[in-house]
Amino acid sequence: MKTRFPTSDWQSTLFKAATLLFVAIFVVFIIALILTDIFHIDRQAFKTVLTAPFIRQSLWISIWTSCTATALSLLFAIPAGYALSRYRFPGRLLVDTIVDLPIVFPPFVVGLTLLIFFRQSALGIFIEDTLGLEFVFQPRGIVLCQFVVAAGFAIRFAKIAFDAVDIRAENIALTLGCTRWGSFRYVALPQAANGIIAGGILTWARSFGLFGPLFVFVGFMRGSTEALSSTIYLEHAAGNLEVALAAALLAVFIALISILTIRIISRKAVASI
Amino acid sequence: MIQLKDISCRVGDFKLRNISMTIAGGSYFVLLGPAGSGKSILLECICGIRPIESGRILIDGKDITKLPPGTRNIGYVPQDYALFKHLSVADNIGFALKIQGQTRTQRTRQVSRVAEMLSIENILDRPIHRLSAGQQQRIALARALVAEPTVLLLDEPVSALDEANRQEICALLRIIAKDFKFTVLHVSHNLEESFTVAESAAVMRDGMIEQSGILKDLLRKPGTEFVARYMRCENIYSCEATGAIFPGGTEVKFGNKLLVLPGSLNTNVKFMIRPENIRVFMKYAGWREDENTIPVKVLGFRDFGSHIRIELDGPAHMVAHMQYSDFQDLGIPSETNMLAWLPREAIHVLEDEQP
Repeated sequence: MKTRFPTSDWQSTLFKAATLLFVAIFVVFIIALILTDIFHIDRQAFKTVLTAPFIRQSLWISIWTSCTATALSLLFAIPAGYALSRYRFPGRLLVDTIVDLPIVFPPFVVGLTLLIFFRQSALGIFIEDTLGLEFVFQPRGIVLCQFVVAAGFAIRFAKIAFDAVDIRAENIALTLGCTRWGSFRYVALPQAANGIIAGGILTWARSFGLFGPLFVFVGFMRGSTEALSSTIYLEHAAGNLEVALAAALLAVFIALISILTIRIISRKAVASI
Repeated sequence: MIQLKDISCRVGDFKLRNISMTIAGGSYFVLLGPAGSGKSILLECICGIRPIESGRILIDGKDITKLPPGTRNIGYVPQDYALFKHLSVADNIGFALKIQGQTRTQRTRQVSRVAEMLSIENILDRPIHRLSAGQQQRIALARALVAEPTVLLLDEPVSALDEANRQEICALLRIIAKDFKFTVLHVSHNLEESFTVAESAAVMRDGMIEQSGILKDLLRKPGTEFVARYMRCENIYSCEATGAIFPGGTEVKFGNKLLVLPGSLNTNVKFMIRPENIRVFMKYAGWREDENTIPVKVLGFRDFGSHIRIELDGPAHMVAHMQYSDFQDLGIPSETNMLAWLPREAIHVLEDEQP
């Protein structure tokens, strides 16, 4: 029987092949880049990266700071994303735009701005000198840089995720005995969880690989403020290109494993929220 | 019992205005009205998810106006069910019990009982997105029933269902309401559905109650032209009293013919007669113009399954409904000259709206 808009098998196959072709080109290009690095490095550089204490230290700094920054970002992103999704208030459009601003800031400018804030502004000086909460050239400065640069992603993703949750489902939860917090906890949050986790992954990835603002704001003190991205830069600047590339590959490998693990775990976690 | 006293609520440019209504305890009440008349908003006000500007809401004599939605003891089924997509069928139904702090064993027992009542016990483990509209409707109903509310608010609960499912669910709603002695407020667009489930109803218009009362009175004795037209009466006419009085009736000019309307009238009036009350028959030898019998021409007819709709041209354009067997007996072709009888007792004068 003829349908009104016939779709033969070859057309479907062609369409599918055309879309997959774009995926394939992108993935192959990325793999080619990584393979080029791998073939460029000798065994000694790999050995240095895997055994050198300073690499382990900078890797550990990158891991704990990026995880902390991601946790902080999500702590802000969940309520902020919900508020931007659900509530209307004067200047909402402007606020919504400002949330996106750090995403488009050049990372170097973020570091510079933070430095000026803590060294020149009264509030910044008060925080550092009076409260004793030092950020400049401190490990917690790395977290602050990562938070400023990456939290915008987490908030944006959380807002989009909450936008997709039917507000009537939350209202129904209220009629079934939930408080406003309960309807958020048992209905909105679980339904938005996938989007929030996606935002979290992007935030972590952005934080883990961040370099620009660290250069200005925290410097490169080995064992203290030298993250893995800083090590790669320093090794390259010292002429150790192979070690820099090997460290970069280590970062790529860790990011790949981490993102895959989060994705697999989050599928199960969402069901139990 | 639900008592609404002067409820007002603003939503953007729309406003519910001074809604006052009493729905008897244990009764099944239908809220009718065109789209945008405020039916759903009124339901949301009653269940507490939309704040009201003024007025009071009482359930069984208790003022619940300022109570949070979850403590009003109202079960609410919204228009397209708003099921929790991240939960299974069983978890959707048992949601209220989980919030109450019941254990999984307690919840399972109660969920099974309600699911059995609604014939969905074999789909309890399924995710929501794999269900038909009929199954989703039953789950939404089960979710509202499981907490044993005293009042059930149903917002077009069967509008997304096919005819067979609609009739089945309507019958089920009627049984549940009767067995559990719920007070049910059911929003609907559909007259057949309303007559299946309820005896009483109200018609809303632009955020106000246009008329409320017994459903068959709204159908046969509407207060206004709006209600008459909403109840699918097309035969609404303006006419002028001639001044001639008959026992129990008044003569009026209907086009170039005379009709006798019930009651004593001394001014211009608007009247209606339902299509099923107009009798159409062949002219016969020696016929004469009797009271309310007027010559008409058949413009066309259409078979609606349950009845034949006949369009007639007489002193005004008229519509009559006829049973299929009667229509076959007459064998009416188009353009045939016939007689239409408008029984005086079937004519209803719309007293509120003088032309």
